[in-house]
Amino acid sequence: MSVTHLAPPPRSRAHAASSISISDVSHTYGARTAGGMLALDGINLDIGDGEFHCLLGPSGCGKSTLLYLIGGFIPVQAGMISTSAGPVTAPGPDRSIVFQNFALFPWKTVKDNVLYGLKKAGFNAAEREQRARHYIDMVHLTGFENAYPSQLSGGMQQRAAIARTLAVDPGILLMDEPFGALDAQTRRVMQEELRTIWRDSRKTVVFVTHDVQEAVFLADRISIMSARPGRIQHVIDVDLPKERGEEILENREFIGLSEHIWRLVREQAVAATRGAH
Amino acid sequence: MMNMADAKPLAGAGKSPVQKAPRPSRPISPRMVDIAVQVAVVAALAGIWEFGARFGALNPFLLPPLSVVLGRIWEDLIAGTVPVDLGLTLYRALTGFAIGAVIGIPTGILMARSALVRWFFDPLVSIGFPMPKIAFLPIFILWFDIYDTSKIIMVAFSCFFPVVAATCAGCSSLDKWPIWSARSFGAKERELLWEVYLPMAMPQILTGLQVALPTGMITTIVTEMLMGGRGVGGAMIMAGRFADSVGVFAGIVQIIILGFVVVKSLEIVRRRLLIWHPESRK
Ligand SMILES: Nc1ncnc2c1ncn2[C@@H]1O[C@H](COP(=O)(O)OP(=O)(O)O)[C@@H](O)[C@H]1O
Ligand SMILES: [Mg+2]
Repeated sequence: MSVTHLAPPPRSRAHAASSISISDVSHTYGARTAGGMLALDGINLDIGDGEFHCLLGPSGCGKSTLLYLIGGFIPVQAGMISTSAGPVTAPGPDRSIVFQNFALFPWKTVKDNVLYGLKKAGFNAAEREQRARHYIDMVHLTGFENAYPSQLSGGMQQRAAIARTLAVDPGILLMDEPFGALDAQTRRVMQEELRTIWRDSRKTVVFVTHDVQEAVFLADRISIMSARPGRIQHVIDVDLPKERGEEILENREFIGLSEHIWRLVREQAVAATRGAH
Repeated sequence: MMNMADAKPLAGAGKSPVQKAPRPSRPISPRMVDIAVQVAVVAALAGIWEFGARFGALNPFLLPPLSVVLGRIWEDLIAGTVPVDLGLTLYRALTGFAIGAVIGIPTGILMARSALVRWFFDPLVSIGFPMPKIAFLPIFILWFDIYDTSKIIMVAFSCFFPVVAATCAGCSSLDKWPIWSARSFGAKERELLWEVYLPMAMPQILTGLQVALPTGMITTIVTEMLMGGRGVGGAMIMAGRFADSVGVFAGIVQIIILGFVVVKSLEIVRRRLLIWHPESRK
């Protein structure tokens, strides 16, 4: 396995990373009707400027909901979410997102999907071409530029969605289980690629996953969320070297931390299955 | 290296040499069988018409043989009346259809996205859709005179309703994910309309257009019949008045051919526009 290290395309504009501050955020689905469902309960979390933060928790604990709130896709009902640019009220190009189900434009080819965001971000024609090519190469979709999403496997669609979002070089990058549809090998390559991009371009990343090893490999800090209603149960610092490659998987601290976190997550998962009965 | 084998085989998209495997030779595809059967059915009907009329099953005045009818069309083609009549009918049908579509599609999108527009148009569309639109012809004649304008407006009016209804239905049930994607890239509400809603609702919009086009053809012919003058409908009414049954059937055959060509063309347009859609790869 090798990671492609192409020279990153030159940037014509500065994209400031940004901190994210979440205070007392709760969210109820169906709040206006009787029997609304409390999905998030009193979330407090400060994510630093340039931090790589992982949200880890059992399925259904509200990870996607929290990401949609930060993204501004659903209105904040209670509490407050703000970035360095001010309170979050709507989606914006300063916070780009990779959705769990890719959310590509089905009527656009892979390349046109990537070009759409670049055009909206105001890159000139030459930069758009260059950046589109770079990121499509990076996710190994070279040769599939003119394919439509419906012609691609789930893993390929997911990689196209990642390329589309990374290409616009956002200050805040929100990723909802972005490697979930990839096979183990590809996943590993993409994880290293993402670490490299993050290290080189100074972004704040909020990364949702339920894979403990993935979280420990990628993150500076990990929030472990409780089963429904979602609360933040533990916030754990990952004190591992900045440079992380294949070899870190054998690092004793890495293994120890993974096991520790795995136990914490399992408690929540067990609670979740109990709650379901 | 990355494994590319998870790509499904697809038309035109794969440039990888793996997919260039020689195709097993299949002399007859199911599609060809379909077409052959359909042609055979049409030929059989034409044969029954021809020989039924020729060998006395029917009075040749009531049903002249197909060959005589085709001979008449050929004569009129050379004389120049068929091209003029067909051309006028086609012009009125397509212009009316285009106007109906150009007004109907944005109206439908706006109805689906804005409560204000919906409140205004919903009752109008509910009343107008099931109503026989031709009933408005006398009003259009009063307002727009008896020439092309009133005919075209009549056609546009009849095409408008199926287009609005289909577009509005298509835009009301849109998948939210591409919309969220576009918004996160910074698309404004107005841009969403053209960049997301329109292409996403395109399958339903095209279905609406495919209903509207034959409706528009029917309205054109009926309008021409009622108002007289040049055009296939007018020519048929004239032939009927002079008890020229061959002329009437010549008109019918022309309408059949015209309708077939126009409807098939729209199907091709659909396949082109929805090249991205799984339906195009059946
Ligand atoms: N649009 C919605 N309407 C009602 N309930 C929802 C909706 N979206 C999610 N939920 C519920 O909210 C809870 C949290 O969902 P989600 O944020 O998707 O969790 P996660 O991403 O951690 O799996 C789940 O129980 C889910 O069923
Ligand atoms: Mg989720």
